[in-house]
Amino acid sequence: MDSMTISTKWFRATRALLAAVALCVVSGVAAADESAMPARAVVESTSEQVLAVLRDKGVPAERRLEELQQIAYRRFDFPTIGRLVLARGWNQLSGEQQDAFLKDFKRHLSLDYGRRIDSYTNQTLSILGDRIEANGDATVKTQVNGTPSAAVAVDYRLRKIGGEWRVIDIIVEGVSLVSSYRSQFQEIMASGGPNRLLQVLHEKNEQAENAHAS
Amino acid sequence: MSLRNVRAATVRGGRRLALTLGLLVVGFAFSAAAEGSGAATEDDPWEPFNRGMFWFNDQLDVYLVEPVAKGWEWATPKDVRTWLDNFFDNLHAPIDSVNSLLQGKPGDAGIAMGRFLFNSTVGFAGFFDPATSELGLEEVREDFGQTLAVWGLGSGPFLVLPLLGPSSPRDAVGIGADAALAVYTWYIPLSATLSSRGTYVVNSRARLLQQIEDSKKSSFDYYVFVRNAYLQYRRNLIQDKQAGENGFYDDLYEVVPGN
Repeated sequence: MDSMTISTKWFRATRALLAAVALCVVSGVAAADESAMPARAVVESTSEQVLAVLRDKGVPAERRLEELQQIAYRRFDFPTIGRLVLARGWNQLSGEQQDAFLKDFKRHLSLDYGRRIDSYTNQTLSILGDRIEANGDATVKTQVNGTPSAAVAVDYRLRKIGGEWRVIDIIVEGVSLVSSYRSQFQEIMASGGPNRLLQVLHEKNEQAENAHAS
Repeated sequence: MSLRNVRAATVRGGRRLALTLGLLVVGFAFSAAAEGSGAATEDDPWEPFNRGMFWFNDQLDVYLVEPVAKGWEWATPKDVRTWLDNFFDNLHAPIDSVNSLLQGKPGDAGIAMGRFLFNSTVGFAGFFDPATSELGLEEVREDFGQTLAVWGLGSGPFLVLPLLGPSSPRDAVGIGADAALAVYTWYIPLSATLSSRGTYVVNSRARLLQQIEDSKKSSFDYYVFVRNAYLQYRRNLIQDKQAGENGFYDDLYEVVPGN
């Protein structure tokens, strides 16, 4: 009974991740005075922007995807996310490999979440609270409502980088994106080193692009 | 119910309890052996076995459960599937209640029991969930695996169970104990218990068709992906979402200095 419950809940959560990632992002409209914006406001305005794009089903998916990407690129700190994901493995990559990794990893996330853009069905997001972590990061706790069953808890971890709060992790029902990729990439690095990792990542992206094109 | 039926049911319940206790002993032995192996990292000493079992479960899913779930999704209205979800959630509520109590959370125990009573009556035998929609009482999810964790028992290594999927020795014991706690199964024939389980599995799987397909497609190593998600998810449940650090790694948010 238990295990099924877990996977049920967990996969329910992954579905919300689409909404979540999307929600997590912010557009240039809110850019007026963002250095002064607290982490909570960043998440709040981001989610409003993203919801607006998702709801606008009249606009072609391609176009909406681009808009979401712009929002994401502005709000997520991909270099930090990439380094956290690789952890100690980061230093096994040459400078060139690091650049290639960050580029392809960013591409992977875009493709992965972009693919699910149409499964958005009127979810809403409420902000439950926020706190500052021991290392100075901020966590903003939110809840995605309107998923097929129960509400899904989605936390955003933000870090102040260059004077702005930027998202460095998304945690859905306790499952961190950074942790999930870290364990998978560690496995690949352990068996095939950086070259294998870059190759696998690249192939995955090509697959996704081809599937998208067809 | 006749006296004979009651006695038969009690015997059945007793047997299950014995089985559970047996499992408990095995489980404690396991987790004692696993103590000190550093549960903070993603240790997987049983990986070869686990991957084998994972593959087996996946085959069963691909060739049996998923096709049946697809058919089920096609054949049933969405509302019916939601009612069934509610029904099965409601059946679990007394177990949530008992476990909350065992974990020293009488408030949650009361909520779970209140939900059960309200949904079983006002909610038409649990097919509806007015406790959430009308009373604002959110579902409580506690199982005996979590109870053991709260009592200080380590999980032991990651373990993939046949049919039941990702687990650990501690959570496997929990599953047995929770099954014994499901008192209603003592009083219905085994065939009814099994068909209820079957419906539950197929109905739940139908809800997850898209998600599981997506996860398989987007993951780099589906086994590692599921293992990591399971470990994080369980940890989060046990901590009741209160802990500051959600990540599974202690250094999850430390950027490693370097070139």
